[in-house]
Amino acid sequence: MTTSSISSAAHLRDCIRDASVRGTPLRITGAGTWLDAGRPVRSVESLSIQGLSGIVDYVPGDLTLTARAGTTLGEIRHETGKHNQWLALDPHGSDKGTLGATIATASAGPLASAFGTPRDLVLGLEFVTGTGSIARAGGRVVKNVAGFDLTRLMTGAWGTLAVLSEATVRLHACPQVDETIAVAIAGDSESLDRTRQLLRRLAFTPYACEVLSGPLAMSVLGRDEPVALFRLAGNIESVTAQRASLLELGQPVDVSSEAWTSLRAAEPTDAIVFRLSRHPSEIGTTWDEAVRLVDGAPGALLHATPARGIVRCILPSSEPTMARIGSALAAPPQSKRVGERMPERLWSAFPNRANSEIGGRLKQAFDPRGLLNPGILGNTV
Amino acid sequence: MAATSVASAPSVSATSSIDQALADRLAAIVGARRVLFRPSELLTYTADALPSYFKQPALAVFPGTRDEVVAVVRELAACGVPFVPRGAGTGLSGGALADGVVLVGLNRLTRVISVDPDNMMATVEPGVVNVALSRAVGAYGLHYAPDPSSQAACTIGGNVAENAGGPHCLKYGVTTNHILALEVILPSGEIVTLGGTDGENEGYDLVGAFVGSEGCFGIALAITVRLSRNPEGVRTLLADFMSIDAAAQTVSAIVATGIIPAALEMIDQATIRAVESSIYAAGYPTDAAAALLIELDGAIAGLEHDVETVETLCRANGARTVRIARDEVERTRLWQGRKKAFGAMGRVSSHLVVQDAVVPRTKLPEVLAQIHRVSQQNRVKVCNVFHAGDGNLHPNIAYDASDADETARVHVAMREIMTLCVDAGGTITGEHGVGLDKIAYMELIFSPESLAAMCTLREVFDPERRSNPGKVVPVHSCREWHMSPAARPSASLA
Amino acid sequence: MSTPVVVPRERALPDSPLAKVQAGIDACVHCGFCLQACPTYLTLEDENDSPRGRIVLMRSLLEGTLTPTNDSVETHIARCLGCRACETVCPSGVPYGHLLEATRATLARSRPIPRIARAILAVFSRRSLLSLAMFGGRVMRATGIARLMSGLPGRIGFAMAMLTSTDRASSSSDEPGEYLSRGNGTRGNVSLLTGCVMEGLFAGTNAATERTLAVNDYLVARPAGQVCCGALHAHAGDDEAACELARSNIAAFEREQCDYVCVNAAGCGAMMKEYGHLFADDPEWHERAKTLSAKVRDVTELLSVAGPKRGGSVPIRVAYDAPCHLLHAQRVSSPPLDVLRAIPDLELVPLVESDVCCGSAGIYNLVEPETSNVVLDRKLENIEQTNADVVATGNPGCMMQIGAGLVRSGSRKSTVHLVDLLDRSYRRAARDSDGKRGGRAK
Repeated sequence: MTTSSISSAAHLRDCIRDASVRGTPLRITGAGTWLDAGRPVRSVESLSIQGLSGIVDYVPGDLTLTARAGTTLGEIRHETGKHNQWLALDPHGSDKGTLGATIATASAGPLASAFGTPRDLVLGLEFVTGTGSIARAGGRVVKNVAGFDLTRLMTGAWGTLAVLSEATVRLHACPQVDETIAVAIAGDSESLDRTRQLLRRLAFTPYACEVLSGPLAMSVLGRDEPVALFRLAGNIESVTAQRASLLELGQPVDVSSEAWTSLRAAEPTDAIVFRLSRHPSEIGTTWDEAVRLVDGAPGALLHATPARGIVRCILPSSEPTMARIGSALAAPPQSKRVGERMPERLWSAFPNRANSEIGGRLKQAFDPRGLLNPGILGNTV
Repeated sequence: MAATSVASAPSVSATSSIDQALADRLAAIVGARRVLFRPSELLTYTADALPSYFKQPALAVFPGTRDEVVAVVRELAACGVPFVPRGAGTGLSGGALADGVVLVGLNRLTRVISVDPDNMMATVEPGVVNVALSRAVGAYGLHYAPDPSSQAACTIGGNVAENAGGPHCLKYGVTTNHILALEVILPSGEIVTLGGTDGENEGYDLVGAFVGSEGCFGIALAITVRLSRNPEGVRTLLADFMSIDAAAQTVSAIVATGIIPAALEMIDQATIRAVESSIYAAGYPTDAAAALLIELDGAIAGLEHDVETVETLCRANGARTVRIARDEVERTRLWQGRKKAFGAMGRVSSHLVVQDAVVPRTKLPEVLAQIHRVSQQNRVKVCNVFHAGDGNLHPNIAYDASDADETARVHVAMREIMTLCVDAGGTITGEHGVGLDKIAYMELIFSPESLAAMCTLREVFDPERRSNPGKVVPVHSCREWHMSPAARPSASLA
Repeated sequence: MSTPVVVPRERALPDSPLAKVQAGIDACVHCGFCLQACPTYLTLEDENDSPRGRIVLMRSLLEGTLTPTNDSVETHIARCLGCRACETVCPSGVPYGHLLEATRATLARSRPIPRIARAILAVFSRRSLLSLAMFGGRVMRATGIARLMSGLPGRIGFAMAMLTSTDRASSSSDEPGEYLSRGNGTRGNVSLLTGCVMEGLFAGTNAATERTLAVNDYLVARPAGQVCCGALHAHAGDDEAACELARSNIAAFEREQCDYVCVNAAGCGAMMKEYGHLFADDPEWHERAKTLSAKVRDVTELLSVAGPKRGGSVPIRVAYDAPCHLLHAQRVSSPPLDVLRAIPDLELVPLVESDVCCGSAGIYNLVEPETSNVVLDRKLENIEQTNADVVATGNPGCMMQIGAGLVRSGSRKSTVHLVDLLDRSYRRAARDSDGKRGGRAK
């Protein structure tokens, strides 16, 4: 596979036009840290936006930041940290990932319970469509309804309609206090339900709440028991009260905020990763389903986001595991399944996300020649 | 006029087929009373809440159920007739005006279909009034967060079309952040479900694409919204300043602390005076240059701490007085003044234009000074009442529309204000939508290629461009798109 | 280009009552806040039947786009209840009630007022006819003829149900326990407007009004020579008759030299408070009218200022339905609630849309029965959802409209004037204290 690296939006446009002329589909990549995410792409050439990097505009007083798509989350964290601000996105992986890839794949981590997913934080985009047009949508201000919302259309489109070249995101000011607290829980479906019910009842929204299976807690915290991991933030009085309200779940224990970094990086690079979800009120049932699915797979790790009704399953890849999970997944799903990464043969158990009437028309309209990441979301109609 | 471009939209011949026969066929669906065809019955539907534009529909039809909407849209599709969906007609961009085409009123679809308090969501028909939804879920300690100032009258369907905002969107986000799923009838008559509630949504964000499409992508038949918990505590502060600059500085200082107020509104002197002479007099000091209405909410623990921080910041930045509402009655009164400010402008002069530009928050002092200069140069009365927390300005210009000279000056001032906001790095509309009113400004902020990409998106939903023709994107942009070489497969094929 | 339209200002109807209120029409910025407050919009769901829509029609009349004989104008202006709920929510302060009356007066010049309306108004204009009508009503009520006929379809049946309901309403204070008016009169002299329907069908409530005011330290008199307040005539566009009646009243009440004019019918109170406006162009009467208007108070305003004094226990559940002409026209919102809250053990239960019209609107229910019924049905549904024993209100029209609805639907609930409830509370206090003393005084 050949790879070209991009230096400007105009360069990106030229590459796409060139690929169009040659009829050559492209695999669009960011930093290349997550190349096995999504379905296999039918392409021989790869186009990396990693070179298209750097912060373009950052006025701390506006709490907005504009950066080229190849800018890493780490660089943004570093720059905004100087002004006691941050971008509240913590996708799984590491800060080496790029802003563009995070937005294109709509990747989100534990913070999504409080701050939403990229669609809630992206204010504007510049992109190059499959027909080689450089377009902008949204803007650099925090509120904008001018024109149709191409920003959200492109967020989470996995680069199948256009390649992102620049993004403006909303920042937040860092809270006065930001604590990470672990509460040991039973780890069965009932304890998941109780955690979710508590979150539903609380007068505040924790920055994050993830329930970790025993093995995952071992890897992240060095404690071999299921835990509910909370991130509580605000002013000191507020955090004190928040912490007190967790008592009904169990004894809160302070842990290092490094736990979140470890959680993001807990999975081996070649792991099979997918998510199950349904209504948050059914989190216990979803958790049970996940437990059954991964039963018997050595080293399986699970974590749940009760507020969003999601359970994420991580399985170290091995032939026996693959065979096992393959047959487990063949059973009719009770929850919605979202695949993240896995070998090609497992993908058939996950719904084709691009396969809708409108999805097909979108692909046809923005990338009529099928140049951009063909097949990554599945086949269009 | 922007609306003349309607005539150049694809289905021109359609207008001629809006005749008694069509009225009869529609009446067979919705009942004779629900089809208005006589001009005198259509007069009230010639304007929305921005009374600078008047366009008379050829016919108006008011389906009362989901099935009637479906049948009406399919009938219109069958005869290729363009139509404009309309909620309560409280929009501020001329977006719901039908120029010689069919108006489809959705105000009769007022059913709350289901409420799921545990998962904090509700499904409603498009004609449900914003505040009625919050009332319907109030018993569960929940509410629907986006609160446009017209919330007592506007519909959720209209909110979806416009991606409506409101004072509390600073903390809670705008409409698109609160819509989970939509059942939509496309202009072709095809019914599609966008998004979903039974787990994660992935793939193309079609809900995101539909919300804010200003009625150009079809009609939402059912809307599933996210509900929010009622805050445990709410504190509302009114701080008044002797200069606009000091008020603007205060806004930045508050935001920089990391406290996200539920709302952070600025009201200038001209507006204060209009409000204070209305029945919504809120006790704003009429000699102040500007007042900030600041609301903090959330869990009670720590709330008082934030109130003190904000109060201190206000005083440190020159607030003359800081008043904290003692009870719900006082709080409501302070808010009434803000929420009804727009209507209260009716007292200043008989006609009104409202803008909706957004500028980066740090540019507020500079932009407000420039707006002041523009108003003096053009001798027009500009009142500013706006969402300062997110830089969303609402310069209102009250004028007498029977005075041709004043009207012309208003037009010049409007364009100058818009241009200076755009030059400051802003956008032309933050929550009202483009509609007819701002279509001419779209080219100030978007390149032909960007506008063309919007046309492409529209045509995915409405290839014939029959739904709300002539709005949002200037029609000629679409042509350029089709002429662009890359779009022509034959040209790009080797 | 998005050029704002230059609006021509032509006056198609110079010198019409409508032309005089042009400024009020211009104050409307078409914001639509009135829609959800308007009972006819809520039930008919057409903006032509909303304040905003009707103002468009009024403007079109002045611009000459529509003529006064246009059917749309006629229909939608006639359908307005005149409840003025829109004024309460209008941020621009559009004086909708004045606009409506001016429009109706303008239309009346080119088209006669409907026959049934004219007939009713004629009765109210002549004291002899009115007394005869009220006497007839009482006879039918007393003999049970009204009740027998109350199930008939159409206007007749509804009118009979209205009459029947007044029996239930007035009977609510017919219970043992009498009390002496023990007040000291220090709060001032009050002249009572006895009213046409109030004295004709709710004489008990008028007596209760006098007693409760006296307990609360007012000296009450009934001035001679008073006539109908003229509200029905003004609402229908018959300005001339309205002014004639108003002049008689001004003269009658001037003779009494009172501090306050007390009205226990919200519609009449609203009208008398507007006498000043009615004679705005009449130099001879304007000052006198204004002076009288300034003295007018709803009975609950007078009572709430005085406390009112506490009486005995009345353990019933009461839903309060605000009369439009009290809440929206007079902007009197809390005094009625103050009165109800002052009654020991009375439980005030919430009524959804208590601020929305019941469809009575003067003679509207007889002139526009179809719309009136739709509006009333919504009201009855809301009432049925409460666990109230009675619906309290402060206007005879509302008591009879809701009362008729309750009679015809076979509901066990009934309507009552809230003064009657206070009166009952005072009776019980008197009875209780008599009981303690071991005998009945008086």
